[in-house]
Amino acid sequence: MPRGADVVVVGAGIMGLVAGIFLARAGREVVVLDRGEPWREASGVNAGSLAVQNKRLPLVPYTLASLAMWRRSRELFGGDVGFVSSGGLRVATTTEDAARLAASAAEQQQAGVATEWLEGDALRGRAPWLGGSAVAATFCADDAFAVPLKAGPVLLDALRGAGGRLCPGTPVYGMAAHPAGVRVETPGGRITCRSLVIAAGAWSGELARMLGVALPVGLDVNMLTITEPAAPVMDRIVTHIRGIMTLKQYPNGTCMIGGGWQGRGTLADGARDLDHESLVHNLRLAAELVPRLARLAIVRSWAGYEGVTPDSLPLFGRLPGQPHVYVTACCRGGWTQGPIFGRLMAELVATGETSMPAAAFDPGRFA
Amino acid sequence: MISTELAVVGAGPAGLAAALEASRHGVAVVLLDENARPGGQYFRQGPATEAGAARAGPRGARSLGAHASAATRAARLYSAVAHPGVTYLAETVVWAAPGPRTLALAGRGRADRLRADVVVVATGAVDRAVPFPGWTLPGVITAGGAQNLMKSQGVLPGRRVVVAGTGPLLLVVADSLRRGGAAVIEVVEAAAMDRPWRWLSRLAAAPALLRRGLEYRAGLARAGIPFRAGQTVLEARGADGVREVVVAPIDGRGRLDRTRARVLTADALVVGFGLTPAVELTRLLGCEHAWDAARGGWIPRRTTDLETSVSGVLAAGDGAGIAGVETALLEGRLAGLLAAERLVRCPPPRAAAAAGPLRARLAQLARFRDGIAGLHAPPADFLGLVTAETVICRCEEVTAGAVFDALGRGHASVDALKASTRAGMGRCQGRNCLGTLADVLARVRGGRAADVAVPRARPPARPVHLGVLAGEDVPPARPPEMPLP
Repeated sequence: MPRGADVVVVGAGIMGLVAGIFLARAGREVVVLDRGEPWREASGVNAGSLAVQNKRLPLVPYTLASLAMWRRSRELFGGDVGFVSSGGLRVATTTEDAARLAASAAEQQQAGVATEWLEGDALRGRAPWLGGSAVAATFCADDAFAVPLKAGPVLLDALRGAGGRLCPGTPVYGMAAHPAGVRVETPGGRITCRSLVIAAGAWSGELARMLGVALPVGLDVNMLTITEPAAPVMDRIVTHIRGIMTLKQYPNGTCMIGGGWQGRGTLADGARDLDHESLVHNLRLAAELVPRLARLAIVRSWAGYEGVTPDSLPLFGRLPGQPHVYVTACCRGGWTQGPIFGRLMAELVATGETSMPAAAFDPGRFA
Repeated sequence: MISTELAVVGAGPAGLAAALEASRHGVAVVLLDENARPGGQYFRQGPATEAGAARAGPRGARSLGAHASAATRAARLYSAVAHPGVTYLAETVVWAAPGPRTLALAGRGRADRLRADVVVVATGAVDRAVPFPGWTLPGVITAGGAQNLMKSQGVLPGRRVVVAGTGPLLLVVADSLRRGGAAVIEVVEAAAMDRPWRWLSRLAAAPALLRRGLEYRAGLARAGIPFRAGQTVLEARGADGVREVVVAPIDGRGRLDRTRARVLTADALVVGFGLTPAVELTRLLGCEHAWDAARGGWIPRRTTDLETSVSGVLAAGDGAGIAGVETALLEGRLAGLLAAERLVRCPPPRAAAAAGPLRARLAQLARFRDGIAGLHAPPADFLGLVTAETVICRCEEVTAGAVFDALGRGHASVDALKASTRAGMGRCQGRNCLGTLADVLARVRGGRAADVAVPRARPPARPVHLGVLAGEDVPPARPPEMPLP
């Protein structure tokens, strides 16, 4: 355990690792702490979707910038993160939802997301594997996915390669600001740093509270299910206009079913239990949208934590009243946005500025 | 949602005995089993040829060459499935435990939930997989798998067969092979089995079982089949199937003596390195587990009344710790009796009186089991068989070399090894390789497998069709509330 560092990053998920990698490459002495094993929470157990066309409008420029990084991931991070530029269909199953989809697509178009409207024969022709309940869809060529289990080891290697240090199994017990930086208390001892980055997802609120700062971090407990490997079932990712489904088939043939259906658990009890009835509805909707899924066996269902904010926009910037403490966390769709908000954080810590405006995500906006 | 007084999971010896005993006391029982016919592994029946499967009798037991009493005993057990108080659901998988004493079922094209006042988990055991070079070749089969094949299909795994591993099941399977007409080349037992008299006082606690074991040995000897103790399989060789089996002695310190390796010509290799309790369901139910190497690894903690750490959940038979069929039958019966008492169907004094002899007999069998465990104590660390090229996880084709690489990169837990190599994430859900990963970690840390944390239990306990699960009749649920753009 080092005694000091330029930057301590708390959280070895996608935000923290990307920030740590770019800071280490900028010559900073970086230590990344994780309360458990790295990459084991939201970054490791999410559904892998890199969907562009389902993001909130204020996030669109960041989404596009992040997808550009995902596309260059091999060059940026030095390994195969399982990125597949599959394109994606965002589906509506009622005429009312189709109208919402059309309105959303128009807004997205204005924000710079190109989509193609599909219905009837055009939709069946493009995606013959979609179920009959899909009345319309928008196709976005930028929608993609990456494999969380592949990306983790790549980013961890990249951090090491850049000279960053990782301290797994190191929870932060306390933090104290002093004029030149922050003292971080861990079971392995105290670390003194000039800058501290909170990138701890759902736990970010608890960490900010150690410095007397209240951040409105909520918790989602998202359920996910993976099937046995199968012959080709679908060749695009599928999302739903209501945000209640994500589907994709990985290159190894397994199909991932997500959509944010809620399991049970709290940070305090540590539970990540499935909610049986919600899971049944989740699977039913999956089989309705892609009927071939019904014939596959599921081999694993699980639930994982996702930190969320009241406006579903990320927490990004300096912690209010704390000149040396930064936060980048709780971005709905954080898997998609992780690379860009990690890199912007590295810029902010290293230079005090970001190459894209980020005031809208200021952690102090809820005060 | 179905409701019942007693749910029994598993229609093997323990589950059948539990259902039979409880139903005798008037308890309403739902008996669940994933197979088409009752009997589990030990009393596995052949395919149904006519109606009245329950009365058809234990063809398997007879072809096994077990004692004649096995046939009548099995027939008596099968009467459980025909008892009016027993609802027997065959081909039904318990895939999740969504609430206290609540089981999620999937079978025969439909899904439902079952809530019971008492649950008896009698899920039995699976073969312990031990990887070695060539273990994934066609023609290499586990002892349990070979028994299944012979009992349920009447098919021999090969014509010239080597039987290797450790434990009494090797003798049973060798006997089945011989009776089925296969040439058994050798039985290769890893335990030295020297000075067996050290265990005699314990083995004598169950003289009938001891006699049966000696009869198996005598049968092999009469048939001229060599029994080699203190040796192990090193490798199975062949291009598209087993052609040769390499065996070698293990020295007094548990090291393989490769200089004295022998090559046997064979077209099949049956390997039995013991059994592992099937604890998926007790884990999903939230029961505490403890490591007990002599009883097959992780087993649910139980009181003397067979109750797990979860109130109202009892465990019986090999699924609660490997102990063999006699123990399973008695534990099942005891579990059925104690369930009846809990459900106020049997007055406590009567239950206590009936339980007394069962407990006494179980204590004798426990002594016998200790003797067997001592006699067959594995002398070697079977991880020594593995080379970098040996596949550890068959589903995902992960080699030992890939696992060692991941360890070298700091992935120092079963979860981290799974995530970084995909070992244990395939269709068998890790049943065949998570134990090996734990052994590897224990060895690297210089600790015991008991100290290696196992991954969180996740449904489904068995792979189940999504379409079946999606069909369960459930009340409307709240869909996720997602912000629209």
